[in-house]
Amino acid sequence: MSNILETLVMYFQYPFVQYAMIVGLLIALCSSLLGVTLVLKRFSFIGDGLSHVAFGAMAIAGVLGVSNNMLIVLPITVLSAVLLLRTGQNTKIKGDAAVAMISVGALAMGYLLMNLFSSSANISGDVCSTLFGSTSILTLTKPEVWLCIIMAVIVIAVFLIFYHKIFAITFDENFAKATGVKADAYNLLIAVITALIIVLAMNLVGSLLISALIIFPSLSAMRVFKSFRSVIICSAVISVICAGLGIIISILFSTPVGSTIVAADILVFFMFWLVSYCKK
Amino acid sequence: MMKYQIIAILCCVALLTACGKNTEIVQNPEDTAQTTAENELVIPENPDADPASDIDLTTLSSTMVYSQVAAMMYTPEQYEGKIIKAKGLFSVYHDEFQNKDYFAVLIKDATACCSQGLEFVWSGDHVYPDDYPEVGKEITVMGTFATYEEDGATYCQLLDSSMIVDA
Repeated sequence: MSNILETLVMYFQYPFVQYAMIVGLLIALCSSLLGVTLVLKRFSFIGDGLSHVAFGAMAIAGVLGVSNNMLIVLPITVLSAVLLLRTGQNTKIKGDAAVAMISVGALAMGYLLMNLFSSSANISGDVCSTLFGSTSILTLTKPEVWLCIIMAVIVIAVFLIFYHKIFAITFDENFAKATGVKADAYNLLIAVITALIIVLAMNLVGSLLISALIIFPSLSAMRVFKSFRSVIICSAVISVICAGLGIIISILFSTPVGSTIVAADILVFFMFWLVSYCKK
Repeated sequence: MMKYQIIAILCCVALLTACGKNTEIVQNPEDTAQTTAENELVIPENPDADPASDIDLTTLSSTMVYSQVAAMMYTPEQYEGKIIKAKGLFSVYHDEFQNKDYFAVLIKDATACCSQGLEFVWSGDHVYPDDYPEVGKEITVMGTFATYEEDGATYCQLLDSSMIVDA
């Protein structure tokens, strides 16, 4: 045990491990804050859809040879988030069908573009890395870390500033509208923040596992706690602990970072489910 | 009022993506010298490491090895002259145009889908394929980290390397 601790202390002296931990915990915190709202509003799969859009956008950035792919990935993902919300409300293709359509469409087009036009010698490695995160979080540069920190601070600040409005539209959108809350504008805000989190979280767990980061902590917290605030606090704590634990386990025992974090989330979900079952 | 707040947030996001351009500065080998002065190389003390090496990758977990090699590729100037010990799969690349063989130790990540090749030059007179192991054999190499320019690109390699073929 002391050997493991010594190894861990030694690993934490590496700058890339410190960067991974800072960014990982911030992403986990952000995703858990929004997760509760998304789950309660039945938007759990919007994260999945948007992450696939981000994958497609990343492929386009790669094909165009754009060095900083955030310039393409972020606007496309934000635009898709807005379109998904609008499409869900007003057109013949409703909610889940629109998400599914955009999700698989973007994934297929992204993979197709990567295969047809990629200049990389290791396409399968690139795809695997983007879909499952691989060790992306452990290969961040200092400017990327700062970008993640600033974006995370914006997400947290927006959530705290508009907490009461988000609470209102999460539980009863029609009532919120009747009381003068501009629900459409706040839905748009939630969509934009969700898109931001998706783009950030692709580094941590990859685009296929992002939904887990959004839904598992919220669902776990909902097993035990009942008020909106307590669920959000518990969800944030679970998410941060699982992300930290996942990163530590992956560097100690050479497991893939993304799936280790999700495995920790699943384990906590079952523990909380058991607690709620015993309480009944 | 709300509309203006949202517009302000979107503007901040757009500004942030523009700031992200700085990431390219670090990844560009020509500009990395700027960051060297700011970022001192941190080599944690590792009691299990081979005392003959500065960085012993053979004692780290595979996730750590992959990340450390990635860091070496991002900022190679920080590692110039350091003695590196690495373990991985023997790999060869033959350049048809120059009729030259490049030898590397291949380091895979935890998901085994990504790999980093660390080129090495085996010290002494050796002929390929007679003296070299089979491609895919596990080897341990130790050599001095250096960079070189070829066709306008910067490459990393371990010079004066020793090589042990693992049983």
